[in-house]
This record gives sequence, structure tokens and C-alpha cells, in this order.
Amino acid sequence: MSSPEHSLKKNHWSSGHSLAAFWIPGMILVGIIALALLVIAVPVFQNPEYLAGAASDPMVFQAFFVTFLAGFCAVGILAITGTPLAYALSRSDTPWKGIVETLVDIPLVLPHTVAGLMVYLLFMSRGLLGAPLGGIGLTFEDAFPGIVAAMVFVAIPYYVNAVREGFGRVPVQLENVARSLGASRARAFITVSLPLTTRHILYGALLAWGRAIGEFAAVIMIAYFPVVISTLIYYRFNTGGIEESQAIAFILILLCLVLFFVFRILTRRAGVYDDRS
Amino acid sequence: MMIAVEGVSLIRGDFSFARISLQVPESSYTVLMGPSGAGKTLLLESIGGFLQVTDGRILVAGRDVTILPPEKRGIGFMYQDYSLFPHLTVEENIAYGLKMKGIASRERADTVNTLLSSFSLHPLAHRHTGSLSGGEKQRVALARALATRPSALLLDEPFAALDPEARLSCMDEVKALQRENGLTILQVSHDCDEAYRLADQVVVMDKGRILQAGTPAAVFSRPVHPTIAALAGFENMLEGTSGAFESGRTLLSIGTAGIIAEGMVPAGERILACIRSRDILLAGADISRSEQVNRIEGQVISMVATDHGYQVRFAGPFPLLIDITGDRSSWEYRPGERVVALVDPEDVHLIRLSKRQGEEGNVP
Repeated sequence: MSSPEHSLKKNHWSSGHSLAAFWIPGMILVGIIALALLVIAVPVFQNPEYLAGAASDPMVFQAFFVTFLAGFCAVGILAITGTPLAYALSRSDTPWKGIVETLVDIPLVLPHTVAGLMVYLLFMSRGLLGAPLGGIGLTFEDAFPGIVAAMVFVAIPYYVNAVREGFGRVPVQLENVARSLGASRARAFITVSLPLTTRHILYGALLAWGRAIGEFAAVIMIAYFPVVISTLIYYRFNTGGIEESQAIAFILILLCLVLFFVFRILTRRAGVYDDRS
Repeated sequence: MMIAVEGVSLIRGDFSFARISLQVPESSYTVLMGPSGAGKTLLLESIGGFLQVTDGRILVAGRDVTILPPEKRGIGFMYQDYSLFPHLTVEENIAYGLKMKGIASRERADTVNTLLSSFSLHPLAHRHTGSLSGGEKQRVALARALATRPSALLLDEPFAALDPEARLSCMDEVKALQRENGLTILQVSHDCDEAYRLADQVVVMDKGRILQAGTPAAVFSRPVHPTIAALAGFENMLEGTSGAFESGRTLLSIGTAGIIAEGMVPAGERILACIRSRDILLAGADISRSEQVNRIEGQVISMVATDHGYQVRFAGPFPLLIDITGDRSSWEYRPGERVVALVDPEDVHLIRLSKRQGEEGNVP
């Protein structure tokens, strides 16, 4: 008769074995990502002077600062405007909902240059929104607000869809009970629905931020300056050669890995409310 | 009346109910029953204010709340899964309503402490609700609903998620709580035992219509509609036509046979004869004849064990389900054996069927 430990090991082995059929094709994708990282990282370590040069270059530092700051601003704007939209979409049964959902998904399916063109036409100094906002001193062409506008536009579906999914998982009965206990719709949203969607909001913010800082085409069409990191990598690729652009790309990858790792550690327990886990 | 629903209509997707009226007396326990899809929960949610009715009025303690949002109705609501807030502790769940109503923190803490004691929840006060048992969750949900002292409590199948043992004790606790505090409770259920145990009044609805209201004994012993008869445990429902009647009894033609029932029905009407399986006696074919009971000859088709004895499937001029209590040694029938089913006319309940739906009625 086998011992419990033996059965446990056997089960563990058979579960790993049965998953092999899923791991093998999946590893093709993981392998491509790993190889892509290697082709950036290996030459950088072979020629470390380029890495040192990029790390001490004030223009690189400024590009990182502008990119990350614009990314955070874009996520902030999405959190303020996208969260209520996601909630409305998750709770509404209006026939117009399908049209709104399609509009939200538009930036997802457009070529980035088309998205850039749209942002430019909308926010240029003579644009539909650019002209009136210019009147109150907010300019977008070749300016920081232009970068944020492009980033917001391309990241909308990433944030809204993730958060809408989160609100959809909060049973409407919880809000009903909250309201029967005296909470208005707004307070039920703030005190019940919002905290229970924390994980999806954080996940949506991470996706949106990642998408925003990676945007190139839409950003350069409205604001070549101040230079964001993707613009700088492209510029150095054309002017300084592949080694210079590789070094900057390596720093970007490293920073993103660290940021994503820290983010995951910090948010591991966010939105988890079970005493047993 | 604590809750008065007057001619309320609602349309929700494919489902609708029209001009429903319902009265829930103060300090009473009313159970709203009906099969799945009857509209019970929708009616409860309409009273709670979560669904906007298209017509009629809803009054709570004499105040018209029809267009008021849920937070202004002063009605507590509890769902089948209790809908406890998973991100809050037991204590915070109970305090939630008091906080929303702007009760000062000192008074809030006192009320929460009292409720934690009353519901024996002190040891769980700082736990999140995900790890609580069904019974514990129910106590938290009740304490939370009662914290704000609502005019009435609406409970949507509150015992359905509990195991059988916890269910009975929780029912007794809720009933005791209702009696001691003079609470007005309107509860949705699909279980007759629950209604017998808890209700002062039973209201049965189906397909968006109220079919019958009254005390549990009155509704379940004299159902006016086949749906209620099915809920009330009349396993045998036989459709027939009324014939001659005398001495307060009516002869019904069911297929090629006849059955005598208590009650007077004009001849020629479509009638549903309802008989509980436990009210039928089974005897050997040689039993002596009696004028006092219906004697139906047939044979045993099958027998299955039940928690209280056996259930026999009987085939005669019409099929019958017959419950036999006690152990099998007290009787011995085999499938195929000729037997006689004996039914007292007093145990045959008649429902008049009309060609027009919704006009079923009791027989006096």
C-alpha cells in the first residue's frame, strides 16, 4: 500500500506530466521573448561603453523622465474618466452600450499612425479640441500635454476593458444591500464596488501605463518634442547606430522589469480579503 | 399594514407582472411562495426599490415609497447568499448601515457591540466574511440588516444555502427574533415546510400573478390552483368531470372510473381532484367493501424506499402515488400484485378548472 507522501508525489508528477502538452507549444512564445531580450542584452554587455554612455546622457535621462511622467499622467486621467465609464458599461443595459463599447475599442484595432493622425487632427492648434484648449493656454503640438493626449488615446481600451471586467465581477446584489442600508448610489460605488475592483483597477493601470510609455507613432505625430524614450531610441538608431539605441532600449527594459516586479510585489495582497489565504 | 403593494406592474426583459397587490401586516411574518420563475424575487426587489415599477403604488408604514430610491425606503434586504461585503470585517459589515446614516462613532460602536452580543458574533468581529460558515454569515447579515432598525425586512430565500441541520436552527432563531422584536418580515421561499414553520401569512404567486393568500394551513389544505396544490404536496392530481352530487358529496368521472369527493360541484364542470400520497391506504384485493371510502382496484407497478417508508407506484383506472409509512415487514406487496387503493372522500380536495386561465377556484 502506498504512503500518502508517495501518492502526493505521484499526483504531483502526473499533474506536471499532463501539463507538458500545454507547456511545450507555449514555450515557443516565451522563447521568442527571451531571445528578443538576449539580442538586446548580449551586445550591450559586449560593448559596455555604450551602456555607460547612455546611462550618463542627460538627454536619455530627460527622455525617461518625460516618458514615465506622461505615462503616469495618462493613467491618472484614465483613472478619473475611465473608471466611471467602465462602471457605467458594466451596469448599464441601454441599447447604446454596444456603440460605446465599440468606440472604446477603436484605438485597439487602429494602426498607430492612424491613431496619431486622429490625435493630431483633434489636438493641433487649429483642431476641434486643440483650438479651444489653446485659448486657455493649453497647447498640445510639440508639448508635454500632446504626449499625454496621445498616450491616453491609445491606452483607453486597455484600462476601460480591464476595469469593466472587474466591476462586472462585483455582484449587483452587494450594491443593492448597501443601498438598502442607507448608501446612495455614489456611496455604494465608492464604499463597495470600487474597493472590490482594486485588483482590476491596478491591473488596468499597469496595462495602460505599459501601453502608454511604449507608444511611438501617435506621440511623434503630435509632439516630437519633448522627446520620449521611444522617439529617442528611433532617433539614435538612425543617427548614432544600432549600439546606441540598443543601450537605451536595454535600460528601458531593465527599468520596466524592475517597476513591474515591484508593482506586483506591492499589489500582491491588494483586493484579497480572505483571512484563510 | 406595514407593506402595501397596490396594483404594481413591472416589466423586466421577457418577464412582467401586472397589477399585483399584496398586504403585509405589521409585526407579521409573511412568506411569498411560488415555483421558480414565478416573479417572487422581482417583486421583493421592486418593494426594496432596486427595480422601478411601471404602475401602481408601494407603501411602507403608510408612506408612499414608490418613487423613492432604496436608501430612503427604510427597508432591510437580505439575499440568499447574504451578500456580505467581503472587503469588510464582520464588525464593519454590521456598522456599515449606521455609518451611511451618519450615526456618531460612539453610538455606532455601542449598537454594533449590542448586535455582536445578541447574535453571538463577538469572537468573529475582526474576521473577514469569506471564511465564515453559512450559519455565521446569516447571523452577520441579519445583524447588519437590523442595525439600522428598518421598518420591515425583505428576505430572499435566506435558508436555501444552509445545510439541513443549520437550516432548522436558523429558521427557529429568525422566527424567535421576529416575535421578540415585533419585526415585519416578507420572505421569499419555495419550501412548504419553511412556510409552515415561519409564516403567519402565505402568499403564493406564479407567472407574475398572486394566486392565493392566507394562513399556511388554509392555503396548503385548500389550494385554489394546481400550482399551489403541487407546492402543498398533493402528489396525485387527477383531472375529471363532476357528475351527480348528494349529501355534500360529488361523484367525479375520471377516465373510465369514478371517485367520490367531499364538496358540492355543479354537474359537468372540469375538476382537478387532488390527493396526497400519504392519504391513500393500500390493501389486499380481498379487503371487504365499504360505502364510506373510494375503492380503486389496480396493481403495484413499483416500490421505492423513502426516508419514512416506501412509495408505491399504483396503476388502476388512473395512476396513483401512494406513501406507506413504517418498515416493510408490516406489509408485503410485490410488483404486479393486485391491490386496492382506499381514499376517504374527505381527503380528496377539488379545484375547479376553467377554460380561461387564471380562473381556477376552490370548491366549497
